[in-house]
Amino acid sequence: MQILIVEDESKLAYALQQGLQEEGYAATVALSGEDALRWFERTTPDLVLLDVMLSKRNGLSVLREFRRDGFQTPVLLLTALDSVEDRVLGLDAGADDYLVKPFAFPELLARVRALLRRTATTPQATLDLADLHMNLAGRTAARDGVALELTSREFDLLEYLMLNRGRVVSREMLTRDVWKETMRYTSLDNVIDVQVARLRRKIDDPFDVKLLHTVRGIGFVLREE
Amino acid sequence: MQLSFRSGNLRLRLTLWYGMAFSILLLLHIGVATYVHYRQLIAQAFHAANEETETVEGLMYQTSDGRVSLKEDYFNHPEIRLRLDRLFEMLSPDGTILYRNSQLRGTELGGPPLPGEGVTSYNERTVRLSDGRKVLVVSHFHLLNGRPIILRLAFDEAPLLASVMRFFSVLLLLAPITVMVAVAVVYRVTSGALSPLSNMVRRAERITAERLSERLPVHDETDDLGHAARVFNGLLQRLEDSFCQLKRFTSDASHELRTPLASLRSIGEVSLQKGHSNEEYREVIASMLEEVRRLTQLVDSLLAISRADSGQMTLHLSSFSCMDLIHEVVSVVGILAEDKHQVIRMVGSEEIAVRADRGILRQAILNLVDNAIKYSPEHSEILIEVRKTPDELAEVSIVDQGPGIPVDEQTRIFDRFYRTDQGRSRGQGGTGLGLSIAKWAVEVHSGSIGVQPAECGGSSFFVRLPLNA
Repeated sequence: MQILIVEDESKLAYALQQGLQEEGYAATVALSGEDALRWFERTTPDLVLLDVMLSKRNGLSVLREFRRDGFQTPVLLLTALDSVEDRVLGLDAGADDYLVKPFAFPELLARVRALLRRTATTPQATLDLADLHMNLAGRTAARDGVALELTSREFDLLEYLMLNRGRVVSREMLTRDVWKETMRYTSLDNVIDVQVARLRRKIDDPFDVKLLHTVRGIGFVLREE
Repeated sequence: MQLSFRSGNLRLRLTLWYGMAFSILLLLHIGVATYVHYRQLIAQAFHAANEETETVEGLMYQTSDGRVSLKEDYFNHPEIRLRLDRLFEMLSPDGTILYRNSQLRGTELGGPPLPGEGVTSYNERTVRLSDGRKVLVVSHFHLLNGRPIILRLAFDEAPLLASVMRFFSVLLLLAPITVMVAVAVVYRVTSGALSPLSNMVRRAERITAERLSERLPVHDETDDLGHAARVFNGLLQRLEDSFCQLKRFTSDASHELRTPLASLRSIGEVSLQKGHSNEEYREVIASMLEEVRRLTQLVDSLLAISRADSGQMTLHLSSFSCMDLIHEVVSVVGILAEDKHQVIRMVGSEEIAVRADRGILRQAILNLVDNAIKYSPEHSEILIEVRKTPDELAEVSIVDQGPGIPVDEQTRIFDRFYRTDQGRSRGQGGTGLGLSIAKWAVEVHSGSIGVQPAECGGSSFFVRLPLNA
């Protein structure tokens, strides 16, 4: 999978490149809109990460030209502008998704994955990790054959962690995707920490192998260590 | 300088306008007075003439040759003596002249008799004689020894007009003096009345951003200028308040932003001073990321506030039940209360609804309930009540059993970055903007927010909003 990063802030660009490469993607950096358009002439990436506020040429105009030339490649906009109007402007210009800076890297990865598999997603009926089993249709969960008594929110949280098993999810992602909180300035960190602690008590405490881990400074991950 | 010139100009303009209006009114007044005077003189003259005809009638006699004459003592009558300018003519109804006095100088007074002349009235009229004199004539029908006679008595209008003209010219000569005196008085009075304005202008010129505490002088509380000065001072007060608030906000914001930046920098620099193990580096990076997260939240809140301040926020209004919103909020933060073994009791009717931007209002309630949980001790109860106030408002009150808020801090806690002594420790988390965001969220819906001491010793926060009609 080839990802093109169009970002004029080189520190951020190379950090993203490294992060994506470590996740197994082939990532290339273009430090300006012109570079990016030249790059498109040679090869078509599978995904473009595009900064909106490029120093010379606005990312949106690059995007429009790119779309006018007939490229269908998914584009994820990276921007510091987060008003509804900016969002609409970006999506109208032909972007597929929108991520506001500063974002959590796990979140970027999640968006990248979502855009790349947009074509083929099959809803899963069950999720499994080690001896943890989830039945999404019946909304039941069990570990080692023992049914887990989960509240609705705990189930949603576990499902989200299971869908992203092996990958770190940030608190921002949980706030938005599990708690469905749309306001960026709403902080539910306390709530999330308490909820995760409770979930851990139910799915990990009675068992020897711990699955739910806190990654300090980033978020949480469900994995077998 | 230019301003004070303008105020002088205003004085002059006012005086000129007044002078013009006064002159026009005065001329009108003189005209009307002269006319009324003239009418009155005419009426008096006719009245006198009528009385005289009766005197004349008594003095008339028929001479032996059939002519008519006047007894001589008419001219000896003391009042008549003054009126020797009277003109008489006596004629019979067929037009034969019976008598003409010398004043007529041979001209005729009004020509042949008119039909019914002097029978029903004195037939007052104005006639121009052949020698050009204009005279006022009264006629009277009289029977002298059974013989019908028309008696005409007239007097010259000229002396009467001369008297009217004298009256008119005296008034007219006095007019410029009157106008000048009035204008001078008005100029003095306006100058006096406008001098506070000049003072105000001079003072206003000194007021700058650094000297916003200056106020305009109020000379007289009750007059228009005093009122204007007070209104202007009110405006200055509000400006000063917002200016101070902005200054405080900027200094608070820089403090709040610098603190995590300072931590970030120190953590990074200290960890680079010496070599450390991988595990230690992970620890350092994680700690730095925590600070970054705090900064991010702070910047997001600040952006939300600045957007709210500049009115860039669009409200997406919908109608919903207050209780419904509270259930939603409690389903999110209730877990924090459970963790502290607190009970959240919700009382009130599902019926009470408001029309608002649900997301924004939810934020306000969320912040209030979150605070209530944060500051209440373990095993306590938090009461959330929805009710309708007597003045038809929806009221949500959130009563905690925390330490309460001192009276002098009850309004300030809604200020940006304001923290009570209990809340000052960062251990409690938060950006210090929660309540100010709640305040904005409520006020943007024309509502009010406040806090009062609760009966049980804690605080009772209330949010009042217009009911959805």
